[in-house]
Amino acid sequence: MRNSLRIIIVAGERGVDGNVALRLQSKGYQAVTLTAPASVMGLIYSDPPDVVLVDLSAPDEALMAVIHSLKEDFFFSTIPVIGMIPEPFAEAFDWEEYPLDDYVSLPLNARELFTRITLSLRRLRRVFDNNPLTRLPGNTSIQRAIQQAVGRPMAVCYVDINHFKQYNDVYGFAHGDEVLRMLGRIMANAVKEAGEGFAGHIGGDDFVFIVPEEQAEAVAQRIIDNFAAIASELFDEVEKLNGFYVAHDRKGNEEKIPLMGVAVAIVPTDSPKIEHYAKVAEVAAELKKLAKKSPQSCYVVDRRH
Amino acid sequence: MTDKRTMIFEIIAETSSLPTIPGVVSRLQALSENRRSTIEEMARLVSSDQILSARVLRLVNSPSYGFYRVSTISNALILLGVNVIKSLALSSSIFEIMGKSIVGLWEHSLGAGVAANVIARHLKLPEVEEISTAALLHDIGKVIIKEKCPNDYAAIERLMAERNLTMLEAEREHLGTDHAEIGEWLVRSWYLPDKLSEPVACHHDVARAATHHVKTAVVHCADVLVKASGFGFSGDEYVPRIQPAAWERLGLTEEGLAAIVEEFEEKLVETRNFSLEIQSADEE
Repeated sequence: MRNSLRIIIVAGERGVDGNVALRLQSKGYQAVTLTAPASVMGLIYSDPPDVVLVDLSAPDEALMAVIHSLKEDFFFSTIPVIGMIPEPFAEAFDWEEYPLDDYVSLPLNARELFTRITLSLRRLRRVFDNNPLTRLPGNTSIQRAIQQAVGRPMAVCYVDINHFKQYNDVYGFAHGDEVLRMLGRIMANAVKEAGEGFAGHIGGDDFVFIVPEEQAEAVAQRIIDNFAAIASELFDEVEKLNGFYVAHDRKGNEEKIPLMGVAVAIVPTDSPKIEHYAKVAEVAAELKKLAKKSPQSCYVVDRRH
Repeated sequence: MTDKRTMIFEIIAETSSLPTIPGVVSRLQALSENRRSTIEEMARLVSSDQILSARVLRLVNSPSYGFYRVSTISNALILLGVNVIKSLALSSSIFEIMGKSIVGLWEHSLGAGVAANVIARHLKLPEVEEISTAALLHDIGKVIIKEKCPNDYAAIERLMAERNLTMLEAEREHLGTDHAEIGEWLVRSWYLPDKLSEPVACHHDVARAATHHVKTAVVHCADVLVKASGFGFSGDEYVPRIQPAAWERLGLTEEGLAAIVEEFEEKLVETRNFSLEIQSADEE
């Protein structure tokens, strides 16, 4: 869709050297300079760029807020953020405070800048195994996140959609994909609003989130409620009233398919029985069978320890 | 004439940001900091601002997110998340050019949203929230004319005064189009669904609505009722009659309408307080 890289240059109140945008444009990039940090996030959210350059010659809270909002949103954390830092300050820079992907020193060497941009894009593609559909972290990241949770008072929660396959068959892939993107978004928002946590997409209609154990049920319930609200927009009035839609099986027989809901299996990870990643998945698979038995959306907690 | 039409259409094609009421921003901030506030409360607040509502719906239906059919503010809130909405409201507030002059139109839209809600619930129609949203957006075209073509807006006002025309007549004469069509272009350019764009397009000509004629009829009635109530200011004092097509499509009776008006008048008191609260928040 896009023929050239789109780059946003973010500067503090004092503005930035106009040459940066010009140099980038001469290279065939589309570059926009923004000097009001308050408006930057709105713009990025509505039309995500490929790369963000931040002028840190006069760092302030507003600029820092921009970097943090980008890096803390799963959806946008794959956009490389490159800092432009005056040469003498780079070594002593507080990299904990500024979660940048890379930096270039000021005064700017244009060739170096071009190389850094290309490199950050390549590196991020390699490092992130995000699901292309939902942009949530994929299996490598999920496995790492689960390993980190084991032995701590956390809960690994598996989410899937009841009757998703039939929905996909009847309404088509495009609508099925939209539902997956919706669930991904609902889950990521619920986890983010709960504070600490992780959200990932295993594939298909299988998702995972990890939150502190005492929050797991509340987050699961919020995902169930929000998914129900969204799902009600996917069916028409008659279907909602009936609670099912009609599909035809291979022999042409009519089949009544219940409307979609979600099932969540909650596995607390501080039990001595849960000593590694595979055990978590095993327990979750058993729980999911239980959750799926319920005709409505529900969550099931592993309380056997 | 057609030149003006084309020009406005081009302006819309380029419009990526429109003004919003900043009072909403601080209240949104307060609501989001309170852990106990619900999606419904936030949705109500966002709905009180037609431009923020439109931007939220436009964003959630934009290709970057890959959702195609989100038509309620509360569902948009669920999908975008509170932080995205807050940033959006904040960045909109930078375009504060709207100023106090347009508060009348904002109140008119807010009132129409309330009226549409009362009518839709009275008639037990499905999708009440969509209908309210469509009513909230119905005069969005006027914002475009005023904000993006202030000289033409002034010319329209002069025409109204000199020749005693309604705003709609003056717009058609001066622009070769009107705020309903401009609103429709805008709403469509924001990828919003037909059930929102058609009521905006046809709120002055209910019979023209091809697909969503019931929703269009409700928005039309809501517009007339809020004008008759004297709440807000839509641009002129003219109160049109409820069109026969609307009476017919809604199966509305005199008694039914009387009951609706009574309930609407009660709700307006609340709405007025809400509007004053938001305006005073701006002055702080």
